[in-house]
Amino acid sequence: MIKLKTILSGLLLTTLSVFGASTVIAASCPIKIGGLAPLSAPGTVVGGEAMRDAMLIAQDDINAKGGVLGCDVKVVIADTEGLPEKAAAMMQKLITQDGVVAVGGGYHSSVGVAGKDVANAREIPVVFAETWNDTITGDKQKFIFRIAPLSSWASSTIWKHGLLVPGIKKAAILTENTDYGIPAAAETTKGLNSGGVEVVTFSVDIGTQDYAGIVERIKAEKPDLIIVLATGEAGYNFTQQSADAGIGPMDIPFHTGQVSLESKAYWENVPDGNLAFVQRIGVPENLFTAEGKKFAKVYKAKTGKGDVESYAMEAYDSIAILAQAINEAGSTDGNAIVNALEDISHAGTLGRIYFPYGTKKDPSADGKGSEWWHQWPDVALTVIQYQKEGQSSGDSPIVFPDAYKTGEPIYVK
Amino acid sequence: MENSAIFWWTTLWMLFWGVVGSAVTRRVYLHKDLDTSNSVLVGSLVGAAFGPIGLIPLWKKSPEISRNLILYPSLLAVGILMAAFALADPENNCVSSLSFVSSQIMNGLIIGIIYGLMALGLTLIYSILGLVSFAHGEFYMIGGMIVYYSTAVWFPGLPPVMGVLIACLLTFIFGAIFERLFLTPLYDGRIDRPVEYGILITFGLAFTMQYFVQAIGGANPVKARRFFDFPRIRLPDAADPWLIKTSRGNMELFDTISISNPRFVAAVISILVLFVLLFFLYRTWTGKALRAVSQDREAATIAGINPHKMNMLAFALGGMIAALSGATLVQAFSWLPQVGAIPAMRSFVIVVLGGLGSLPGAFIGGIIIGLVEAAGTGCIPDPQKAASYIPAYGMIVLTLTLLLRPTGLLGRRFASGTHGKFL
Repeated sequence: MIKLKTILSGLLLTTLSVFGASTVIAASCPIKIGGLAPLSAPGTVVGGEAMRDAMLIAQDDINAKGGVLGCDVKVVIADTEGLPEKAAAMMQKLITQDGVVAVGGGYHSSVGVAGKDVANAREIPVVFAETWNDTITGDKQKFIFRIAPLSSWASSTIWKHGLLVPGIKKAAILTENTDYGIPAAAETTKGLNSGGVEVVTFSVDIGTQDYAGIVERIKAEKPDLIIVLATGEAGYNFTQQSADAGIGPMDIPFHTGQVSLESKAYWENVPDGNLAFVQRIGVPENLFTAEGKKFAKVYKAKTGKGDVESYAMEAYDSIAILAQAINEAGSTDGNAIVNALEDISHAGTLGRIYFPYGTKKDPSADGKGSEWWHQWPDVALTVIQYQKEGQSSGDSPIVFPDAYKTGEPIYVK
Repeated sequence: MENSAIFWWTTLWMLFWGVVGSAVTRRVYLHKDLDTSNSVLVGSLVGAAFGPIGLIPLWKKSPEISRNLILYPSLLAVGILMAAFALADPENNCVSSLSFVSSQIMNGLIIGIIYGLMALGLTLIYSILGLVSFAHGEFYMIGGMIVYYSTAVWFPGLPPVMGVLIACLLTFIFGAIFERLFLTPLYDGRIDRPVEYGILITFGLAFTMQYFVQAIGGANPVKARRFFDFPRIRLPDAADPWLIKTSRGNMELFDTISISNPRFVAAVISILVLFVLLFFLYRTWTGKALRAVSQDREAATIAGINPHKMNMLAFALGGMIAALSGATLVQAFSWLPQVGAIPAMRSFVIVVLGGLGSLPGAFIGGIIIGLVEAAGTGCIPDPQKAASYIPAYGMIVLTLTLLLRPTGLLGRRFASGTHGKFL
C-alpha cells in the first residue's frame, strides 16, 4: 500500500513538475505584450487596423534586433470595439489568459478609462498610445503611462486655431458622448469662450449614421466654424452630410475628425471634403526622426498607404518603448518595468520619449496637474488642411501652429 | 425652454387623464358587454385630448369604436402637445422657422420612406413564413456592399443603377437558396420548436454574413459615389431662384426646404420600388398568391397555391427589399459590416408599430418613425440631448403602441403564417 502511495505521489509530482515547467517556459518565451486596437464597429476600425499593423511591425523590428531578454516578442492583438466593457474584458483576457507582461496600443479614451483599472490592479504596465482623456493618467496609477497628448492639451490646439478664423463669432461643435468627446468639447468650448466666441454643442451616440436633423439644426445656428470631436466613421458621415446640406468644409471653416488623416478612406467617404482642417499628432514626414522615417517606409510598403497616420506611429512607439523597458529592467516583473519606464529615454518614431513625472517626482513639484503623471510632455500637435481634392494628409500643409507651419490656411466664406 | 412649466404641466395633465381613460374605459365597455378591442386606445386618446370633459360622455354613451373616434382625439392630442410646446419655447426653431420645420419634415419623410421599405421586407417574411428574420439588417448591409464593390472595385465605372440591380439579383438568389437549405425544417415537421429554430438560424445567418464581409473586405468604412449629381437648376430665374435651386449635392425648394442629393435619390428609388411591389402584390397572380398565403395558409393551399414556393419567394423577396434599401443608402452613409444593426432595430420597431404582417402598416410605421425622429432631433431644446436620444424616440413610440394597441396600427388580430397563431 505504501509502495502504491509512493508511486502515485511520484507520478503526481512528475506530472506537476512537467506541467509547471511548461507553464514557466510558456510565460518566458516568447514574451507577450498586449496590443489594444478597435477592430470592429462601433470602434474606429480605420484607426484600429492602422494601429494593429504598426504594432505588428514593432514586433518584427524588435525580434529582428534580437528580441527582449533573449526571447522573441509576441504582440497579442485584442479587439476593444471602442467599448469600455469590451476593453475591460479584453484587458482581463490579455493578462489572465494570454499571459502578457505589458500592454500597448489603445485608441478610444473610453477604452483607456475602463482598461487602466484592470491593468493597474494586476500590476501590468500599460503604455497607452492614443487615448486622450485626462483622467487616464490623472488618477496617478503606478502602472499606467501615456504617449498620446492630453485631451485638454489637444483641445487647446483646436480652439486656439479656431480663434484665428477671420470674423469668428459663433462655433458649433459635434461631439460623441464618450470619455473622449464630452471633456474635449467642454475644454474646446471653454477656450473658444475665452476668446469671446459663442459655442453650441451637439452630442451624438458613437454609432450614429444619420445626421440630417443635426445638420439642419447647426445650419440654423449660422456658425462661423464647425468642429467635429467624434471618432471613427462618424466624422466621415457628418462631414459629408454637412457638405450635402451646404455647410461643409468648402462652405465654412470646418475642423473634421482625426480619422480623416487616413486620406484614401477620407476621400472615398467625404468626396466633398476639400479644405477641411484636421488635427495631427507629430511633425510632417520631412521632419520625422530616423526611426520615424524607417517606420514610415516599412508601414507604407506593408499597408500600401500613401501616408503614415499619427496613431500608427504612437502604436508602434507604445510597443517599442515597452520592449526597451523590459530589456532595461532585465525582468518581466511589472514593478521593474515601471521603474525602467520612469527612467527611460526612448528614441521613438515621434521623437525622444520620456516620462518626467511619476513615483520619483510628482507633477505638483513643478506646479503641474496630476494628469501629467507618467505623461510624455513633448507631443507635437499640429493642424493640417486638405487643400486639393484627393490630397494625402502627409502632403497637406500644416497651417497651425506657427512653429510647424508649412502653408497658409484657406478660410472659406 | 422659456416657459417649460406650460409644457410639462400640459404633458402631465394629458398623461394623467390618458391613464385614467385607458384604465376605466375598458372596464366600462366590459361592464356593458361591448367590444373592448380598442377601448384602451380610445380611452387614453380621449382622456389625453379632452380630459374629463370627453371621458364622461364616452363612458356614459359608450359608442361603438370607429376609426374617427381614434383619429380625431389623436390629432387633437398631438395638436395640444404642439401648442403647449410652442407656448413654452417660442424661440425654438421648430416654432419660429418655417424653413427649418419644412426641412425637418422632409428629412423625416425621406428617411421614413426608406425605413418603411426595409420594414416592408421584414413584415412580408413574417406574414408568409411566420418568421422574424434577425438577418434583415445584414441583407441591408450586403445590398450596400454589393453596390460599392460592383461600382468601385470589381467593375469601376459601372453605372450605380446596375450595381443596385446586381445587389437585388444576388440577394434574391441568396435568400431563395438559404430558405431552401435552412428554413424548410420550419414547416415540414422535422423539428419540434420551429419558432426558436427560426430565431436561431437567422441569428446565425446574420453573424455569418457580417463576419464573412468583414473577413473578405475588411472593416474599414466604404462609400459608393453619388448615383447622380443634380444638374444646375435655378428657377424661375437665376437671380432669384425661389422655386428651386440645386447644387451637385443639394436641392432647395421654395427657399425653405433643403434636400440632400443621396437622400432624394434613395427616396425616389424606394417609392418606385414600392409601386412596383404593390403592383406585383395586388395585380399579379403570384402576388395575389403570396397575399392569400399570408391571410389563410390552408385555404390558399386548397385553392391550388403551393405554400412552400411562396415561402421561398417571400424570404427571397423580403431579403432583397432590405438589400435594396441598403443599396440606395450606401451613397448617403459610410458603410461597414456592422452597419445593419441600427436599421434592423428600427425595422422591428416599425413592424410592431404598423402591425405585424401588415404591408401598408410597415410603410406607414416607417414614415411615423422617420417623422418622430426628425421632430425629436430638431425640436428638443437641449442640443446635447437632441441627437443622443435618437434611438430612444422609436422606442417610446413602440412602448406606447404596445401599451395602447398591441396589434399595431394596422395589425390583424389573427395572422396565418406558417404557425397560424393568434396575435
